[in-house]
Amino acid sequence: METSVRPRVAALALAVGLVLADSSIVVLALPEIYRELDTSVSGVTWVLVSFNLVIALAAVPAALVARRVGPGRAAAVGLAIFAGAGLACGLADELSTLIVARCLQALGGALAVTAALELLPATVGSERRATAVWASAGATGAALGPAIGGFLTELVSWQSVFLLQVPIALAAAVPILAVAKHEMATRVIERELRRTGRPHLWANLALAMVSAAIAAALFLLVLLLIEGWRLSPIEAALVVSVMPLAAIIGSRLTNLVPDSRSRAAAGAILVSGGLAGLAFLPKATIALTLPPQILVGIGLALVLSALTETALGGRAPQAIHGGWTIASRHAGVVLGLLVLTPIFTADIEQQRREAIDAGTAVILDSSVNPLLKIDVAEKVSERLEEEQGKVPTIEPAFEPKPTDPVERSEVEQLQGELQDQLDRGATHAFSTSFILAALLGLIALFPIALSRRVDL
Amino acid sequence: MSGEGRLSGHVLILGSIVASLLLVGAYLAAGGSSYEPKQVQDPCQPREWSDPQTLAQIANQFTNSALDGAACQLGVSRETLARALATPEARERFTERYGIDDEKLARAVRAGLLRAVDDAEEAGALSPLLAAPLRRALEEIPLDQAIEIINDAQGFLGDVEGFLGPAKGIIEQLLPGGLGGLGLP
Repeated sequence: METSVRPRVAALALAVGLVLADSSIVVLALPEIYRELDTSVSGVTWVLVSFNLVIALAAVPAALVARRVGPGRAAAVGLAIFAGAGLACGLADELSTLIVARCLQALGGALAVTAALELLPATVGSERRATAVWASAGATGAALGPAIGGFLTELVSWQSVFLLQVPIALAAAVPILAVAKHEMATRVIERELRRTGRPHLWANLALAMVSAAIAAALFLLVLLLIEGWRLSPIEAALVVSVMPLAAIIGSRLTNLVPDSRSRAAAGAILVSGGLAGLAFLPKATIALTLPPQILVGIGLALVLSALTETALGGRAPQAIHGGWTIASRHAGVVLGLLVLTPIFTADIEQQRREAIDAGTAVILDSSVNPLLKIDVAEKVSERLEEEQGKVPTIEPAFEPKPTDPVERSEVEQLQGELQDQLDRGATHAFSTSFILAALLGLIALFPIALSRRVDL
Repeated sequence: MSGEGRLSGHVLILGSIVASLLLVGAYLAAGGSSYEPKQVQDPCQPREWSDPQTLAQIANQFTNSALDGAACQLGVSRETLARALATPEARERFTERYGIDDEKLARAVRAGLLRAVDDAEEAGALSPLLAAPLRRALEEIPLDQAIEIINDAQGFLGDVEGFLGPAKGIIEQLLPGGLGGLGLP
């Protein structure tokens, strides 16, 4: 690759990674946004849904626009819109403002990503290589997104997740501006659009189903870790990083199995298996979330690459069909979130009530000194009031511990039992949603079975 | 890419099925689907008194019986009522939510305390000689004091014993069981 081309390839890869990371980077910031903007679980879900919905709707039209006005200009303008909207997200003090800014971000993002796929073949020399750069940049962004979001949320603020995107998007736009100027000067814009083939229906349908399952896996797991098990965003980020790490291992398997349909089927099965594992966690322990995450991670690497390959294989122009895969993936994310959010929101509320009643029963039936018991009950009641609608943190209700060793041991046992009731209640609240997400993954097997790659 | 080291698609699919089934099977075997929250008992059903040995144990069961009795009257669970009586703010939220006025709450809490005395007497933890005057005292007790007794049954039972202590010898001569049932020395 020519040295002069490298900054442009890096800028295009950065743009794709940045935009596709945005779908997941905000996941770990959602609990913080939920608290700070004083909204509901359903309300905060729209921070994710709005972005994915607009990208899903705008991806194909954006690809057409990019081909009509010139991909360089489209990418530069897209990145500028993305940066401006990111600034608005970071400054938003109301949920509605944040959601509108997220929609604008998605519009800019769709334009930048599809234009990048149009620019890359000419920049790197071949369509195949361009697809590889584009796919790996997107996968890297999506994989690193949650971890970066978690660290930024805890170390700085949820706003920083969006504000940091502003300089990165502008930096990516600079080398692309040169392409835009060249397009303007030489008028090498392809005004006669090639007739585009039909999108690969089955591969795109399967992509939507699998993306719904994967989005649910990430979103539900993060909520379980932060809201259910009360982990900090950084801790949760470290836990969910297992999924992208496993995806790296999974991507190695991609090279070992040439048949893309088998890879897609195996990937969908692993994603579903991992989700079913998360539905049946025997204990509220982080370690037990790791094996299911490994299955989901390996599965997503296999299925996403295989289906994207099938959807793009033998089809031109790549930007339009790339737009269809983006639209399918993001539509799947929206489907997953919209179907599962009301279910798990209702389940969480019911399980919270049951767990609190069960916890109170544990306190009342314990053999702890009645005065201590009443003191604990009062403090737990205060915690419930303070953390209304959420699973309460009960440690403060048990402080200070009695000095008498017998009483101390009884109180510690009571705390353990109460914590166990609350943790298991919170874990169980997510079971139905994880099972439904696993079913979405299995449903994807039908379109996968019907999909066939066409190499022209 | 050379054919060397390539895996068959069927092997990959079979491996995925096996890995998924192993994981789910292991989690189910470890109790992954067995979660049931601790069941909340119907407060109108009698709650068994174990054999209390100390004042603290008697107080625990006395509190539970009193909460059961009051909750049964109000048509709520013992657990809901316990949280409602924990603080004045919680009580206010509870009465607003269930549309219960103070008079109704007072009647229910008194009824709960009377049930606790009955249960204690039946379990042999409270002498009939003490139970009778206690019942009379509790029938007209103001709401705040009634709640105080539920929240500090140990102090209340200790006071009863302290108040009646001087009469203990006489009572024990009159009743074979005496005050022994209170579990006090």
